[in-house]
Amino acid sequence: ATMPVLVPVGVLRLPRGPDGCSRGFSPTSPRFQALLGGDMVVAQGVRAALRQRYLRGLAAARGRPTRFCLRAGVQVDAVFGAADVEAVAFQVDALRTPLGVQAAALLRCADVLAYSFLL
Amino acid sequence: MNDWQRKSPLDWETYVNKMVKVAAIEKHEYEGWVLTVDPVSASIVLATFLENEKVSISVVLGHAVQEVEILKEGDDEMKQRLSCIFAPEESKAYSTEEEEKRKNALKTWLETNHIPVTEQGESGRTLCVAGVLTIDPPYGPEECSSSNEIILSRVQGLIQGYLEKQQ
Repeated sequence: ATMPVLVPVGVLRLPRGPDGCSRGFSPTSPRFQALLGGDMVVAQGVRAALRQRYLRGLAAARGRPTRFCLRAGVQVDAVFGAADVEAVAFQVDALRTPLGVQAAALLRCADVLAYSFLL
Repeated sequence: MNDWQRKSPLDWETYVNKMVKVAAIEKHEYEGWVLTVDPVSASIVLATFLENEKVSISVVLGHAVQEVEILKEGDDEMKQRLSCIFAPEESKAYSTEEEEKRKNALKTWLETNHIPVTEQGESGRTLCVAGVLTIDPPYGPEECSSSNEIILSRVQGLIQGYLEKQQ
């Protein structure tokens, strides 16, 4: 017996979900507005603006010699590498410690009180 | 979580563009103009203008902040100065006509490749791709912004290839 010839099925691609945004939820949808609208929307806009400036600040810090002020009066110098999304740690290069220079290291945000660099 | 970290973004915003004195734990004190407060960590980013035209940036981590005292408010000139500090460097300055030409050429190329693109922002200088990624002048890979890393990486690659073909 011969195998039945498989007919390719056309794939129907719908560009948008029923709520129009198809990403899951839209902040302008009635459901979102009813639950969290009004003040939350304004606060979210401000939050986004503050965060964007902060991220640009992190980008400006990259590659610059930075002084980190840790707990118990400890200060260390390093080259700023990166920060993670949840503010858990900083990645630095050329960290100067009493034991020598560490090529790359992580500093826990909980241990860092402040850091500064020159632009 | 301390009181400072518990504030709302609208509260934090009231400190932006003001000269403040931050009292931190372990008796540290920091003074400077507030550039921003990170909503995730409540860290305060301060700018201090030094004599040699350099700017010193200090970031006080949110968990270390005890008290923030507003010393004075920045005038319009200071606000303008502060907003430019982290602005992306303009490596090549294009004239308005050249910039418009670059924008239109890129927009046309994207449309030819069936990528939905619109213009937005003041004077329509920003391109918006598929509603999730924006491209500012001068429309290179570095000027792309998106919250989706995959789309960002793809579009940056496309633009890189497009610009290389132009050369």
